[in-house]
Amino acid sequence: MFRPWLLPSLLFLTCVPAGAAPAAEAGALSYNRDIRPILSDKCFACHGMDSKKRKADLRLDVLEEAVKPLKEGTPLVPGNPDASLVWQRIVSTDPEEVMPPPDSHKTLNAEEKEILRRWISQGAVYQKHWAFEPLVNPTPAESETPQMRLDRWVNERLPAANLAPLAAAEPPVLIRRVSFALTGLPPSLDETEQFLRDNLPGAYERMVDRYLASPRYGEEMARHWLDVARYADTHGLHLDNERQMWAYRDWVVRAFNNNQPFDQFTVEQLAGDLLPEATQEQLIATGFNRCNVTTGEGGSIDAEQLFRYAVDRASTTAQTWLGLTVGCAACHDHKYDPVSQKEFYSFYAFFHSNADPAMDGNTLLTNPVMKIKPPDYQTKVATFEENRNARQAALNAKTATVGYQDPAEQNPLPEVKDTEVIWFDDAFPAGAETGASGHPQQLVEKPAPVASGQRSLKRSGEGMAQDYYQSGAAPLEVPAGGRVFLQVYLDPQDTPEEIMIQFHTGEWLHRAWWGQDIIAFGAVGTPQRFGAGPLPETGKWVPLEVEASSMGLLPGMKISGIAFTVHGGTAYFDRLGIKGRLDPSTDPSRSFTAWRKSVAGKDLPEVPEALRGWLKEGPDKERSGGELQQLRGYYLQNICAGTVAELAAETGAVKEANKELAAYLESIPSTFIYRDLEQPRDSFVMKRGQYDQPGEKVEPGTPAVLPPLTKAGIRANRLDLARWLVAPEHPLVSRVTVNRFWQQVFGTGLVKSSHDFGTQGDLPSHPELLDGLALHFQQTGWNVKGLMRLMLTSETFRRTSAAPAEAWQADPDNRWLARGSRFRLDAEQLRDQALFAGGLLDLTMGGRGVNPYQPPNIWEPVAYTGSNTRNYVQSAGTGVHRRSLYTFYKRTAPAPFMINFDAPSREQACTRRERSNTPLQALQLMNDVQHFEAARALAERTLLLGGATPESRIGFACRTVLNREPTPEERVALLQFQTSRLEKYRAAPAEAIKAVTFGTVKPSDVLKEPELASWTLVANLLLNLDEAVTRP
Amino acid sequence: MNPLSEYQQLLTRRNFFGHSGLRLGGMALTYLLGRDLAGAAAPSAVHPPLPGLPHFAPKAKAVIYLHMNGGPSQLDLWDYKPGLKNHFNKDLPRSFLGERITTMTSGQTSFPVAPSKFNFAQHGQSGRWVSELLPHTAKIVDDIALVKTVHTNAINHDPACTFLMTGSEIPGKASLGSWISYGLGSAANDLPAFVALMPRFPESGNGQALFSRMWGSGFLPGRHAGVVLRSAGDPVLYLENPPGVDRSDRRAMLDVLNQFNQRSFERSGDPDIQTRISQYEMAYRLQASVPELADLSKESPATLELYGPEVKTPGSFASSALLARRLVERGVRVVQIMHRGWDSHGDLPHQLGNQCLDTDRGTAALVQDLKQRGLLDDVLVIWGGEFGRTVYSQGTLTHENYGRDHHPRNFCMWMAGGGIKGGIVHGETDDFSYNPAADPVHINEINATMLHCLGIDHERFSLKFQGLDQRLTGVESVSVVKNLLA
Repeated sequence: MFRPWLLPSLLFLTCVPAGAAPAAEAGALSYNRDIRPILSDKCFACHGMDSKKRKADLRLDVLEEAVKPLKEGTPLVPGNPDASLVWQRIVSTDPEEVMPPPDSHKTLNAEEKEILRRWISQGAVYQKHWAFEPLVNPTPAESETPQMRLDRWVNERLPAANLAPLAAAEPPVLIRRVSFALTGLPPSLDETEQFLRDNLPGAYERMVDRYLASPRYGEEMARHWLDVARYADTHGLHLDNERQMWAYRDWVVRAFNNNQPFDQFTVEQLAGDLLPEATQEQLIATGFNRCNVTTGEGGSIDAEQLFRYAVDRASTTAQTWLGLTVGCAACHDHKYDPVSQKEFYSFYAFFHSNADPAMDGNTLLTNPVMKIKPPDYQTKVATFEENRNARQAALNAKTATVGYQDPAEQNPLPEVKDTEVIWFDDAFPAGAETGASGHPQQLVEKPAPVASGQRSLKRSGEGMAQDYYQSGAAPLEVPAGGRVFLQVYLDPQDTPEEIMIQFHTGEWLHRAWWGQDIIAFGAVGTPQRFGAGPLPETGKWVPLEVEASSMGLLPGMKISGIAFTVHGGTAYFDRLGIKGRLDPSTDPSRSFTAWRKSVAGKDLPEVPEALRGWLKEGPDKERSGGELQQLRGYYLQNICAGTVAELAAETGAVKEANKELAAYLESIPSTFIYRDLEQPRDSFVMKRGQYDQPGEKVEPGTPAVLPPLTKAGIRANRLDLARWLVAPEHPLVSRVTVNRFWQQVFGTGLVKSSHDFGTQGDLPSHPELLDGLALHFQQTGWNVKGLMRLMLTSETFRRTSAAPAEAWQADPDNRWLARGSRFRLDAEQLRDQALFAGGLLDLTMGGRGVNPYQPPNIWEPVAYTGSNTRNYVQSAGTGVHRRSLYTFYKRTAPAPFMINFDAPSREQACTRRERSNTPLQALQLMNDVQHFEAARALAERTLLLGGATPESRIGFACRTVLNREPTPEERVALLQFQTSRLEKYRAAPAEAIKAVTFGTVKPSDVLKEPELASWTLVANLLLNLDEAVTRP
Repeated sequence: MNPLSEYQQLLTRRNFFGHSGLRLGGMALTYLLGRDLAGAAAPSAVHPPLPGLPHFAPKAKAVIYLHMNGGPSQLDLWDYKPGLKNHFNKDLPRSFLGERITTMTSGQTSFPVAPSKFNFAQHGQSGRWVSELLPHTAKIVDDIALVKTVHTNAINHDPACTFLMTGSEIPGKASLGSWISYGLGSAANDLPAFVALMPRFPESGNGQALFSRMWGSGFLPGRHAGVVLRSAGDPVLYLENPPGVDRSDRRAMLDVLNQFNQRSFERSGDPDIQTRISQYEMAYRLQASVPELADLSKESPATLELYGPEVKTPGSFASSALLARRLVERGVRVVQIMHRGWDSHGDLPHQLGNQCLDTDRGTAALVQDLKQRGLLDDVLVIWGGEFGRTVYSQGTLTHENYGRDHHPRNFCMWMAGGGIKGGIVHGETDDFSYNPAADPVHINEINATMLHCLGIDHERFSLKFQGLDQRLTGVESVSVVKNLLA
């Protein structure tokens, strides 16, 4: 009889080290290890959690369901494979019967079948998925330190993998490794020297502590967290306009630097707004849930967007703290993990009452937002307000001294007077910024025709010609019953076909013309083109008059410009003005009562809020003496023709003070915060994940497979959720968190799929270590720096990464940690390292994102025409040399130096970056101006600080970049390279000048260009070495 | 349970089954394989295919995807509806209007039918009706398969583009080009496997945004992301040496660099260093191959004439089309040209006219050029936008002028070349081009058909991410459109 397991067993003997017994040989099978991976991969899609996709009403993921008899038989009969329908179907040769069915493209191989058969015969024992089981304290307390325990847990696994632990790396390697792990920067020469000189016990730990205390620590920790939080500086969809929430990024940096316990860190980000008397810091922290992409695209449907935002927030929260990819359950029951669709929407309900709108409005600040008040905010504002109040008091005092009597209250009423105001005589009004079309402006004196004063305006043209102004002069007010008048003299030898006057009130909308209607301004038959009559008699001054209202000039309108226009001929204009009738008792600018009548029923936005309602109610409404006094004060200060000028100095002072206050408030940045609506939205299971297909109503809640949620009120809220996450009995949060920090430090998580602790994720390589660290983390008060220190001071971390070929082959990904982890630096670290080596790095912390060097046409070719992040404007000065953490993150076109090195677009949470190795990366590190300028700066430092001989300079450059001296062979190779380049540049000095002036920082003028250029290439070479781009 | 030793045993068991590739995440094995081959100077090493791919003998070896961003109007280009003349300015029957229309027109009180103002004529042996706006494309109708009933899920640009290119409306998934690069690699040793081009578009066009996710790699390794070949500045980012640095400097530097890196490899044993050495060499080769690629001076006058005078302007659609041919000739697997400005909410006749003027000749020339060289059998050309446009006018309607809103229910795309039956039309729409009347084709089915032409069974082409078997063609079951296949 054919025994399918024989052949693989033989294979096993040839390729697996002794000591690691395969399941097929080991006797007892484990559900989690041996069975679930097979069932999950091959069976659960149709016979698992997902009730919608479930076939034949058969569920294989829980024992109680699998043993229920069906029509065709009982799926699982523990102990008896042949009686189990499952087994019968697996071995069936009938294509209609066999499982998995052919059209699923899934098959069970002979070994998998055999394992399933043995599992059934051993009793079909199920287990809960490991990550949902409580944390187990793997070792009773001993005299071991936590570091020793960590190392023991690692070392215990090595023999089975046929590996032996390697020795510690050399000190220069160690400090480079620690420095990058904790600060994202290489060690400085001084830091290295301090460490190497410290020969006392504990030198290594002291070095680690120095880096933990550095402000750079928070920056390095933050950038990992911000990948998870999907923080960016733009909204992310459609216009992808800028949003202002960098305060959240800076909060994360502070939280790590202050070593905020991780449980608080969690609560504040998820529910800072719900904490009693939430502080400004706690509110900034809620930005976590505002980091999602949003849209302002016209045509979007509100309900759909709100649905998506809540799905995103729920998924991100689950991903971040639970290590579960629950997003699938938006559309259907999770096929593999025990999260039903209803449970997903219960989780989603925590985030579905968001106060922020469906449409972000494409604005910098989409509500709810909060001003980030600096510590001296209250004092500053108080100072501004005091100043303003003092000036207001002075104004009020002066107002009280003004003698004013309302003409409407005089008896008898003052008489009505005709008024006349001249707007043009001898000259345009003071300040007018005049222009002319046709010949330049001509103000002529006698003997030319002059009707009044010294001069008249002469205007001629073959076609249309004119003199005008539309800005610069004080506005001219149109009085009641206004009639515009002027004097005109037409040249009898060169009589125009048409003359016109025009008035500007923000636009040119008011005209009167005489003669033929030729000039094509304004719509015919409207006040924009009022025909006032035939041309006046030529050769003499003729007075013309036209009703202001026929040109659409109404009482109270402010005129900002006048034009005198002719067509085909010469005219002289003089003494233009306006007549009005002044009745002080009905004129709003003279009578308080008349003014109140004129504004009754109106909303006046320019009036202080307190007075607005009173004014709207009109003069007939009874007012208290105090109210009347306030209204009257406002009138005298701002409206009344007789008193405004008298009070102008004091009024101006108040306005100025208000402006200062407003400018200060305006200068204070704001940030997005998270809030719920006062009245929560109802949440429903959304069928098939469709925003418009609500099903069963749900309340906020957590998946049943996890510990129960404690509610403080009737309805669970985000604060309950956050506290539930960090409760000691929660099996996932501390494991997931510790694992992500482990991944950060060692390159790969103990659970490699750091985003997925569910049944589809990887199993932990060192379960006891994971649980031990998770418990330690909880028991030490979620102390992040403590955890980092523990990992970094372990022997495991300190091991050399240089290993023989067999060790690399035996464990290519270094999952067993016999050696130190060696991996390429992250995008930010690469750029920051180059700037640091060149001494260019600007360590300013925080604030709005900056735009470093970027090739043209990264943003422009992709951006929507109207986007405010369409045009890339490089930052000024050292803005191009800030730490990469502070680079402005535009989601639809992130900085090339970031994405080229696997940084995410921040459109969704990213818990683990790829580490690719591509030619485009090589091109960037060699040719990007920011790297080449940094190389030049390093060359300058080498020449100025690296001693006088080429040998000492090579040593300096190598120490700076590689943290070690070059080998003799390397020294020779570098010197030869430098010499050969120097020869080239001496022969072509113009090329050298080009090379050393690439970038914005000027090179030192004490250095000769050919020499500097040759050393620039040396520095460029060093910064491109594998050793330089790698954490050793 | 005793989890303590399970992990190790599981690893061992997978080795035992010969599935060590799984442990490295599926792709790592190829990666290692590629690296080894690179060491042995095998030319196929640079972009190796996944093991087991293609699933069956491919008809097409490369794809040129002409993405007309913004949503070209099917009514004014391909979907000839002479009967609409009788409905000018009459309200579209309410029975046609679904619930889902954009809020840009959902507030309109009427939905007046806007017949196309353009004349249509029949062309080719197939007698295809084509608008007067596409005089050049009209010449290749016998080579193309027109699909009139493509439909998509999304109604706005951002989600629709994301859906079209990644099979999901939610950002974060892999683009179709990166999927193909991941699956099939490419034969181009000195060029990337997947190249994206973004030509200029007419100023009159309403230019919507493009997103790097449309050519990004999502959850796939970053090296599968499309490399943007730019029309201004360096054609490939950072391709050019810094000023004052020439090719001989780079060679000299790389010689020392390689020597150092080789020593590092000997010291540490890290095989990634070998990859790095070969990638620096590849970078050096790119510095020569890309300028050669962009240099059109060796193209014959006849070829240049075919593409029209604009071909000599870098960044024009015509020059991008010619570049696309040169790229696939050199073994590049996917070329994606993204031409913007097709979002004609208003002033459509004028805008669309300019859009066609900008692209029609280059598009037809590309197909003709490929055909003349015998390449069309190996290259699949796809043309289309992210959705179509409504039959009713947005804004003021006159006989001469109108606008159209987004319309995801049916729109036109065409395919030509490798694996595709030319001269056919698939699907029919109702009298108002408002819904498919027969044979609707979902956008995922277009993608499934594209993969099929490349020898890939889209259902088996998946990668586990976030607990799901991710596919370009989504989770719902879709079919290859067999009728389109040659």
